Amino acid sequence: MSVTNIPLGGADRRSFTLPERLKDPAWLLLPAAAFLAFIYLLPVIDLVRISLSGPSWSVHFERVFAVPLYWNSLVRTMEISFMVALLCLFFGYPTALLIHKSSGWRQIVVATAVILPYFIAILIRTYSWMVLLGRNGPINKLAVALGIFDQPAQLLFNRSAVLLGMTAVLLPLMVLSIYSSIARQDPSFVRAGQASGAGPLAVFWRVLLPLTMPGMGAGFLLVFVTALGFFITPTLLGGPGDQMFAMHITQQADFATSEGFLQALAVVLLVITLIVVAIAGRFLGFEFIWGGGKLVEASSHASSPRSSRRGGTLSAKLADSVGWPLLRLLSRMPLGTGTWTVRVLGGFVLLALMAPIVVVMILSFSKASFLTFPPPGFSLRWYEKFFSDSEWMTAFTNSFTIALLSAVIAVTLGGLAALGIVRSSIRGKAAIMLLLVSPVIVPPVVLGLSLYSLFLRTDLAGTISGLAAAHAIGGLPIVVVIMAASLQGVDRRLEQAAAVHGASPLTVFRTVTLPAVAPGMAAAAFFAFLHSFDELVLSLFLSSAQLRTLPLRLWADVNYQLNPVLAVVSTLEVLLVVGGIALARPVLAGRTKPAV
Amino acid sequence: MRRKFLERLAGGVAAAAVYFAAAHVAVAQSNEVIMQDPGGAYGEALREIMYDPFEKETGIKVITVQEARSGPRIKAQVDAGKTEWDLTFIFDQETKLLGDCCLDKIDYSKLSESAQKTLATMPDNLKRPNGVALQVIGVALAYNTEKYSGEVPQSWADFWNVEKFPGTRCLPAWPRFVFEAALMADGVKKEDLYPIDMERALKKVEEIKPHVSKWWTTAAQAPQLLLDGEADMCMAYAGRINNLVVVEGAPVDMTWNEGFVYYDFFSIPKGAPHYENALKLLAWRLDAQRAAQLTQAYPVALPSPLVYEAADKDISRLWANNPDNIAKAIEWSPDYWGAASPDGRSTNEEYGQEKLNALLAK
Repeated sequence: MSVTNIPLGGADRRSFTLPERLKDPAWLLLPAAAFLAFIYLLPVIDLVRISLSGPSWSVHFERVFAVPLYWNSLVRTMEISFMVALLCLFFGYPTALLIHKSSGWRQIVVATAVILPYFIAILIRTYSWMVLLGRNGPINKLAVALGIFDQPAQLLFNRSAVLLGMTAVLLPLMVLSIYSSIARQDPSFVRAGQASGAGPLAVFWRVLLPLTMPGMGAGFLLVFVTALGFFITPTLLGGPGDQMFAMHITQQADFATSEGFLQALAVVLLVITLIVVAIAGRFLGFEFIWGGGKLVEASSHASSPRSSRRGGTLSAKLADSVGWPLLRLLSRMPLGTGTWTVRVLGGFVLLALMAPIVVVMILSFSKASFLTFPPPGFSLRWYEKFFSDSEWMTAFTNSFTIALLSAVIAVTLGGLAALGIVRSSIRGKAAIMLLLVSPVIVPPVVLGLSLYSLFLRTDLAGTISGLAAAHAIGGLPIVVVIMAASLQGVDRRLEQAAAVHGASPLTVFRTVTLPAVAPGMAAAAFFAFLHSFDELVLSLFLSSAQLRTLPLRLWADVNYQLNPVLAVVSTLEVLLVVGGIALARPVLAGRTKPAV
Repeated sequence: MRRKFLERLAGGVAAAAVYFAAAHVAVAQSNEVIMQDPGGAYGEALREIMYDPFEKETGIKVITVQEARSGPRIKAQVDAGKTEWDLTFIFDQETKLLGDCCLDKIDYSKLSESAQKTLATMPDNLKRPNGVALQVIGVALAYNTEKYSGEVPQSWADFWNVEKFPGTRCLPAWPRFVFEAALMADGVKKEDLYPIDMERALKKVEEIKPHVSKWWTTAAQAPQLLLDGEADMCMAYAGRINNLVVVEGAPVDMTWNEGFVYYDFFSIPKGAPHYENALKLLAWRLDAQRAAQLTQAYPVALPSPLVYEAADKDISRLWANNPDNIAKAIEWSPDYWGAASPDGRSTNEEYGQEKLNALLAK
């Protein structure tokens, strides 16, 4: 694929007339590049090196593929990820449509119901499903009360629970991805279709669906790739038959003899992830990684035209010959069926996204010392326990400090890098952008494992700065994407005007550029903060006894003693996210407006 | 205007640098000791009876790390020359593997007088150059007494007998203990267990698999599953079950028959940041009176006759090393599980784990 396909590249290259000193700010990419090289590329290379060490280079890999356990787990991981991506697509599309079609306060409610869970830690959302599906959980209680079950059923620790949990966790990613694609469409297409006499079904099938194909593809692959490296949800909700590949890596880390082999497992997972991404990038353009989820739709209106066209012609024949006759049959159904399908499916999804959170919030006020729903009585005892327990408070302070520092690192490096990539005429922007954003697709387990030895050698393990830096690896892509989008929205003529009147580049930046991107920067900082605040898997590898973060403490308690304190922490996190979103709302609203 | 901005920027950078440095330094302190912790109710008992008084008396802060298994992390830390922990418990089967590379010698001469007294009554095998057995662990068959109120399960054969004892089961997701139990359920005698016939054990495990609701991985899970009703009969750590029976009066019970008894060895990793403090804490825990008091809150005992004498008889009958219980239980073999596997690539434990995982994943 060519560079011109990358929306970030094209526009700037021709219209380039800035004062000399700012002529090529490509050097602004250097800090981020150095940071990633040291803390991201180097450890991954080292990981590969260790995996190849041994009597012969391939000995560890032979074991991975010779022992059926690992091979089967690899196949199973693909199956589960594929199923989850399909489920997300099936439930995500109507939800995205629902957001698009509703308006006013309804749209705000629906959009919040999708976005809110997206920013709540995976661990907490998985925990809430454990509560929901437990033997004393509300689903079992309700089913018994209604006479559906004679006695509480075993809903946890099986494949369905894993699929359900992972789908619920990843759905927002899909919905946002599809929504950005729907919102980007010119509404006149739909009107043109209707004016030409097409029914709602035909408009959907022949106009909307083909046009949103790239969004669907991007969402599907994003979910699939993320699911490949999943570890928390299958560990907590699954049974022994649901071991995913990332879980083998953590389990092997339990054996002192498995050095080399452990790394080989991680390398296999990494390579498979990269292969999937490469294939996806080939067809969709690599923008799917960053264009998919993180609210960049505002400025990247130029969606990759080639891929959508190709997707269109290929599937159009199939759609017309097979799908259309089927849909004709469906159109015999009463008017409004489509709308109702969207409402029912979308409503179901919203319920599935919000119910766990609400249940956990109620549970946090429980009087009982174990998890049972509805609570036998209400009290504040678990809040008292949380706030009076010095360990919880320390964990909270640690997480807060780390997240703050991590956000500073990510915003500084990412902001400069975004400036460097948007404003310079550097070649290979696509490749650079891909590198900057690539940490998003590397499974956290792989990253954590590779960083562990680096951190031990450099004394970073168990330090606040070390953890903050590690978390910034994942925060950086978020910042780069948001800031790049934000920078592209800045009117270059204003900068030029200021420069013409004698302002130095720095003054131009400070008085014109900075105020224009400030909202985007605030949003980027918030998301980078949240990313670090919620991070568990890297911390599992990199923290120490003295430095317990909130997610680590949560993880230990989920594994050692399920108690209502977890519900308290979850509730507080929800409040934090709600507060953050409320603060960031003007920013978010500002960004979505031009697209609609 | 521009200068002011630059000044502010420089100030910000400097502040950030100071902050970094402070964050970095704040971690290394000398008046603390970092101790691996089993978590759950046992962890709480240790905190209350051992660590809090220790902190008060010595001024040394006890920092606990909840970790079920420390071996691999110690190896990685020692290999990198960056040991973080001061006192850990090592599985018996791992003591050989880690002994030379990663564990420091314990300077017994530096321990307090009361600790020396306790040690004098312990057999040599439990006070090795680089590890002291501080706790006797029992793994046994536990069940919900509301579910099984008449005839109760008494052996692994009963555990496997789902017709006589219908209900869901839970087992650890490990080959150790599970393979032994499976073989006994299959009719192998106690004394003929080792070396383990893995294929036979796996076949038997496959039989019970459909009835196992959860293959647990941390000590606290099994009792939790029994309490929550997610499982009716479990292989579980005896300490927590007895703790639930005695302290909380929960509807669970267990049998020592065909249970497994073994020792956890407490060691100081090489290069531990607070070696002296680790010795002090070790001595503190070896005090017979205090060790006996600990078992009141959580019935896992220190293997010394002195502690046994100091303890309440009502409590000591629950201990894994009570002679009555040991007579019924099985002497579990760490040597077998720590030995090299048939294919020579790993240990028997790792090899068995792969086999078990493959079976469970089917």
